[in-house]
Amino acid sequence: MTTTLTPTPTESAAAQPRPARRERLWTWMLVPGTAWMSLFFVSALLLLIALSFGTTDALGNPRFGATLDNITGIFNPTYLRVIIRSLGYAVSASVICLLIAYPVAYAIARHGGRYKNALVAMLVVPFFANYLVRMYGWQTLLSDEGMLMTRLRDLGVSASFQILDTAGAVIGGLVYGYVVFMILPIYASLERMDGSLIEAGRDLYGSSLRTFLTVTVPASRAGAYAGLALVFLPAMGDFISAQLLGGPDNLMIGNLIQEKFFAGQNWPLGAALTMALMVLLLVCMFAYLRQTARDAKEATR
Amino acid sequence: MRSSAPAISRRRFLFGSAAVAAVLATPGCAYLTPSAQRVVTKPVEPKIDGDLVYFNWADYVDPTVFEGFQTEYGVKVIQSNFDSMESMQAKLAAGNRYDIIFPSAQWAQKLVAANQLHTIDLSTLQNAPLIFDHYPNFADPWYDERSAHTVPFSMYKTGIAWRKDKLGESLTGSWSDLWNEDAKGRTFVLDDRDEVLGMLALLLGHDMNTAGTEELEDIVDEFRGLRPYLRGFSSDDYNNLLAGDAWLHQTWSGDMAALLWQAPDPSIYGFEAPVEGTPINSDTYAIPVNAAHPGTALLFIDYMLRPENVEKNINYIGYPMPVHGTEDIYAEIVADYPQCTVSVEDLARGLYFTNESVPKTQARDAAYTEMKVGI
Repeated sequence: MTTTLTPTPTESAAAQPRPARRERLWTWMLVPGTAWMSLFFVSALLLLIALSFGTTDALGNPRFGATLDNITGIFNPTYLRVIIRSLGYAVSASVICLLIAYPVAYAIARHGGRYKNALVAMLVVPFFANYLVRMYGWQTLLSDEGMLMTRLRDLGVSASFQILDTAGAVIGGLVYGYVVFMILPIYASLERMDGSLIEAGRDLYGSSLRTFLTVTVPASRAGAYAGLALVFLPAMGDFISAQLLGGPDNLMIGNLIQEKFFAGQNWPLGAALTMALMVLLLVCMFAYLRQTARDAKEATR
Repeated sequence: MRSSAPAISRRRFLFGSAAVAAVLATPGCAYLTPSAQRVVTKPVEPKIDGDLVYFNWADYVDPTVFEGFQTEYGVKVIQSNFDSMESMQAKLAAGNRYDIIFPSAQWAQKLVAANQLHTIDLSTLQNAPLIFDHYPNFADPWYDERSAHTVPFSMYKTGIAWRKDKLGESLTGSWSDLWNEDAKGRTFVLDDRDEVLGMLALLLGHDMNTAGTEELEDIVDEFRGLRPYLRGFSSDDYNNLLAGDAWLHQTWSGDMAALLWQAPDPSIYGFEAPVEGTPINSDTYAIPVNAAHPGTALLFIDYMLRPENVEKNINYIGYPMPVHGTEDIYAEIVADYPQCTVSVEDLARGLYFTNESVPKTQARDAAYTEMKVGI
């Protein structure tokens, strides 16, 4: 960012007063966003951090305090186990999303022709309906006496076979819920790519696979990383998929946090768990940022 | 040169943001005030003092009953809904003003203790004798001394619902029926800490509200045996039964009417109230202390207790209500599941979930989390 903004010495010397004024204008444009984020994000976050040291009263209302019980409570094997399980689900969902999204994005970007925008719109339209509503839809579709299972049973699938309330259903729910966040960034990066690069690769006697691996994949890598981050982060904190499509052995950390805040009436422990999850996601986010920074450096070289 | 150009330096920006955040975080101060001593307020007078701001579960009152109230008293009913007791409490704690709320007995006790409810003089309610002369347990219920702040609304018990076509015409009538080989992988318990702990405690002969370390361990151990049979924890009992995912389900009796009304063939379902005991729950009418129109609310309670309105509501939501003269209406709805009815004897057994101290509640919550996650 800074590099693009910095004017070269000669330019800045020539038009000194105007850029300063203009920059002030740009700075003021930060104000609404900052106020919004302070109001709904930073202050909420500070409250959350403060509450994780708190206690609850008899009505279940949280009270500020200075206890470390909630923080130590996180290191209970129960929670660690669920965190590891959630990591597994979120990683699987991200990888499956990538495998599904890449061919779709590729087909639309490279071969969509004049239907490109229509195809992207068609992908996005189902996401106008709320995630929760769509998950309820899946619950009905996959239930034992629902449409799909009745058909499958007619085709001779064993009666004991279930889809609902399995790990597969939970991961499937996550994939379905977030796959569009993978398709769009990959599509954007492939769409931006110059098609003549591929032709050049072929002209240099590269096989189609080799051209794909050395030209197309690097060009779309940034999109894929962005997609992985966009899918992994919300999937890790998701609780709806596990609640509606999962069984007793498929709970995710989001379910436990949700439970602490609602039925458990233990906001401080919920706040501490939320912080733990955020720290974990922050670590993953740093890995993503480092990777993209490295890629950007390579690209400019 | 460039460093001096921005109008807001980084330091000033951060400082400003922190100040804004600190100001905006002041609502958090609500979490600072400790709860106060018990106080007695003046009883509400039954007179119209404005529109009724109504706060309840969705679809708990027949719409024609609202219409009748609006025409008779010339006021509007402004409705809003909550989806759990906790979210009701969160809305109240945030300072929202409602004229009438419907807390469960357990929550009524908490609200009374926190001085959150208006005093109600039962003699100002014309229809109060229909309840209190016939259901002696409500004259001085455990959750509200002499029903000084609440009026009972509905009641229900927790039992077991099952698929007769899959598991047979009758079960043994015990909580141990949940350990059923034929229903393995199609058995659900309610996703409710107290209900699950209470069910196991009753089966093991412990106090339903126990928070003792050994007893909780006992309960967690017993649950380990049930877990392989389970398909899930879910409070969506009748939908799980309707969808065919559940053949055996710990179920709230009040949901059986909904099941009955929606099932293509209701005769394939059964409901039993286990002999070890069934937790009894009740919901109440209450008027929050900060209500803007408590007089209208009191008149609304009296209006709701008229037998013809109780009848409409029972037929609408399918929950029994402790109002004399309406028992048969409910019994008729659940004629196929007679054990759904809540009798005076059921109430007298005193099986209800109490409020425990914070450490005890957290011990129970930890046990439940352990059971849910399953180690």
